[in-house]
Amino acid sequence: MNESSESGWRSSVPSRADLMAAFATRRRRLGITAGPALIWLALLLAAPLTFMVTVSFVSVDQSYQIVWEPTTANYAALFAGDTPLLQRAFVKSLLLSYAIAAVTTILCLVLAFPLAYLLARKGGRTFKVVIFLVLLPFFTMYLVRAYSWYLMFGPSGVINATLLRIGIVNSPIGLFNYGVSAIIVGLTHAYFPYMLLTLYASLDGLDYSLVEAARDLGASRSETLRDVILPLTLPGIISGSLFVFVPALGAFVTPEFLGQGKVLMIGQLIKDRISSLYAVGYGSAASMFIVVSIVIAFVVAFRYVSIEDLGGV
Amino acid sequence: MMVLSFAVNSSTLFPFEGITLAHYGATFADSGLMSSLATSMAVATVSAIIATVLGVLASMALARYEFPYRELYRTLGILPMIIPGVIFGIAMLIYFRTLLGVVPGFWTIVLTHSVYGLPFVLLIVTSRMYTFDESLEEAARDLGADPVETFVDVTFPVLAPAIGAGFLFAWIRSFEDFIRAFFVRGTANVLTTSMFSMIKYGTAPKMNAISTFIVFVVAVLLAVAMNAGDVTSYVADGDGE
Repeated sequence: MNESSESGWRSSVPSRADLMAAFATRRRRLGITAGPALIWLALLLAAPLTFMVTVSFVSVDQSYQIVWEPTTANYAALFAGDTPLLQRAFVKSLLLSYAIAAVTTILCLVLAFPLAYLLARKGGRTFKVVIFLVLLPFFTMYLVRAYSWYLMFGPSGVINATLLRIGIVNSPIGLFNYGVSAIIVGLTHAYFPYMLLTLYASLDGLDYSLVEAARDLGASRSETLRDVILPLTLPGIISGSLFVFVPALGAFVTPEFLGQGKVLMIGQLIKDRISSLYAVGYGSAASMFIVVSIVIAFVVAFRYVSIEDLGGV
Repeated sequence: MMVLSFAVNSSTLFPFEGITLAHYGATFADSGLMSSLATSMAVATVSAIIATVLGVLASMALARYEFPYRELYRTLGILPMIIPGVIFGIAMLIYFRTLLGVVPGFWTIVLTHSVYGLPFVLLIVTSRMYTFDESLEEAARDLGADPVETFVDVTFPVLAPAIGAGFLFAWIRSFEDFIRAFFVRGTANVLTTSMFSMIKYGTAPKMNAISTFIVFVVAVLLAVAMNAGDVTSYVADGDGE
C-alpha cells in the first residue's frame, strides 16, 4: 500500500504503514492524542491567565506601555476612596455580587430539587416534556433570555402592564421594577437548567431501595430526606451549586439589562473599566478577586466531590 | 420555572399586538445584521471544528491512558467552561492586544471560542468513551484487523454520535456567546454583539423579531433532536453545560 513514489499530493498523504508507525509506541500515541490540546490550552488559556495575573501586579504609564515593575498599586486602587470601606465602588460591587450569587444559588437549589426528584422518579413521557421545556430556554441564546426578562420587568414591562390592565394594582409594583430582585430572578432563570440537570443526574443514580428501607424502618419523610437522600445526593448538590454560583458571580448581561444602571455587579464593573478605559491593571486586579473566589469555591467543593462526579470526564 | 419559560416566549411577542410581518421583513433586510449572522455562523463552525478535533484526541488520551498530571490536564480542559465570561474575555483581550500585539478581530474570536468549546467536547466524548466496550476492539484485533482498520470500522462509528453531539454543543455555545466575543472582537461583529447594540440603542421591533425567530428555530431543532437522538442522556449524564 506504499504509494509514496506517486505524484504530487498522493505522496504527502500518509500511507497505512506510516500511520501505524506513527501510533507504534505508547509514548507516541499519548503525544498525538494529548499533545495538541495541551499545546492549544497552554498557549490560549494558561498563558493569557498567567499574563493577567502578571498584569495585575504591574502598572501602565501615560503612553499605555507596561512598566515592568512589580507593584501593588492596582490592588490599592481597588480599595481607594474617601468613603467608608464598605461604600467604595469595588468593595460594594464585590460584596453585592457575592450576595446575589449566593441567593441565586440557594433559590435554584430549592426550586430544582423537588422537580429533579420528581423527574428522576417518574421518567417516561412527563420527563421528555419537562426536559424539553427546561432545555428550550437553555439552548436559546443567553442574550435572548436576558432580553425577554428585560421586557417583563420595569415600570412599563409586561408584568406590570398586565397587572395594571387586570386591575390588581393601581401603579407599578416596585418589586417588579429593575433592580436587585429582578436580577436575582433573571439569574435564577438563567442558571436553573444547570442546577436541574446536575441534580437530576445525581438523583437518577440514587438507589431508591435505600429510601424505601428507611421508610420501612419507620423514618418520617423529613427524616428520610435529611438522613438518606441529601447525604447521597450531596455531590450533585455541590456540583450544581458550583455551576450556578460561579457564573452568577461574574455575570454581566443579566445585571446590565435588569439593573438598568441602578445595580453594579462585579462583572459589569470590570467590563466598564476595560472596555471604556482599557485600565488593564485595575481590571486584572479586580478579576483576580473573582478568580481567587472561584478557586476557593472549588477547593471547598472538592472536599465533598471528586472531579469525576463533576461531569464524568 | 416552566411557566416562566413559556412566558419568555410570549413576552417577545407582546409588542406584536397588531400582527404584522413587516418587522421580520425589516430585520432580514438589515444587511448589517445579516452579515453579523454570517460571521457568527462562520466563527462557530471554525471554532467548533478546532474544539472537536482537539477534544476528541484529548478524550482518547484521558479515557484510555494513565499519565502523569492526568488530573491537572483534565482540570485545565474543563477550566474554560468554568471561568466567567468577563474574566476569560478580558484575559484574552489583554493577551492578544497587549502581549501579542495582535489586532482583535475575526480570528481572535475564533481562537477564544475554540478554547471555550473544548470542555463541552471533552465532557461528552469522554463520558461516551467510558462506557465504550473495549472488548469490541479486542475482538476486531483478534479477527485480524490492524489498528487503523479497528479504529475506522469499530471505534469511530461508535464514537461518531458523541463526537457529533460534542461538535454541536461547541457550535451552539460559540454562536450564543456574547461576553467573550464582545471583548475580543475588535471591529468584527457577531450576531450577539449586534443584538446587544440593538438593545442598548433601542431598536425593539427588530430585536423582537430576531429573538422570536431564534426561539422558534431552537424549539424546532430541539424537538427534532430529542426525537431523533439521545440528546437527553448526553445532557443529563454529561453534565449539560
